[in-house]
Amino acid sequence: MSRSRYQAALTVAALVCATSLHAQNTATAPDLSDPEVAHVAVTANSIDIDMAKFALTRTHNAAVKQFAQTMITDHSAVNAQAAALAQKLGVTPADNAVSQSLLSGAKQARASLEPLRSAAFDRAYLDREVAYHQAVLDAIDKVLVPTTENAELRKLLTDVRPAIATHLEHARQLRGQLGSPSRTSK
Amino acid sequence: MIVWLLVLLGFGSAATTHTVEIRGMEFHPAVLTVAAGDTVVWVNRDIVPHTATATGRTKWDTGQLTQGQTGRFIAHARGTARYACTLHPTMHGELIITNN
Repeated sequence: MSRSRYQAALTVAALVCATSLHAQNTATAPDLSDPEVAHVAVTANSIDIDMAKFALTRTHNAAVKQFAQTMITDHSAVNAQAAALAQKLGVTPADNAVSQSLLSGAKQARASLEPLRSAAFDRAYLDREVAYHQAVLDAIDKVLVPTTENAELRKLLTDVRPAIATHLEHARQLRGQLGSPSRTSK
Repeated sequence: MIVWLLVLLGFGSAATTHTVEIRGMEFHPAVLTVAAGDTVVWVNRDIVPHTATATGRTKWDTGQLTQGQTGRFIAHARGTARYACTLHPTMHGELIITNN
């Protein structure tokens, strides 16, 4: 593995760590082919859709509900484009270690949110969304775009970036409005 | 003579259609000056859906625009009409509506 690819792989591992919040073996982070990049992208979108659906079953906060609904709408739109592009290019997204780690991390994140209710849930959900979107941005910049060879797939990733950045800002603003646990928890 | 009368009565100033592109999660231009009676058309170039929705007292809304879709608004009342995307509250725009 070249130095740049190795660094890219480490960044993927960092993404996985940030989202799963558990230690990963960075030495096993793989070098990604285009079909694998496509799979990582679709998986990352699907994870956030599922998390938002879960949030809608838990939150009573109108702004958090709206945020979660936007996550479902936007990440579904991105996945639809990714699926259309994959079909056009004749590419079958390939499952890989990064996608599996993302799913594993999402399972853990879901488990950590499971016992929470009301404002505590809202804060934890938004904390997770801030960390997740930041990690996805880092992955787009440092791993997915630089390692993608197909120009159309790379353009899709580049086009998606502003939406992820906007989600991050939205989550940060909303989290700020909810206040710190010490001020809002009962 | 008839032409002058039409101009004086306001028939000589045809309404203009302006376009605001939504791309990269921003309105382009974010601030647009139009005349009362002009039409503003928003076209969504982004993958994700957007709206252009008034945030002031006068209510108007393009509804949700998916990629490639357009929404329009005819500017009537003079003044500043601020708007936002309801799906992405960090996105803001402004219409400055002047006399015809």
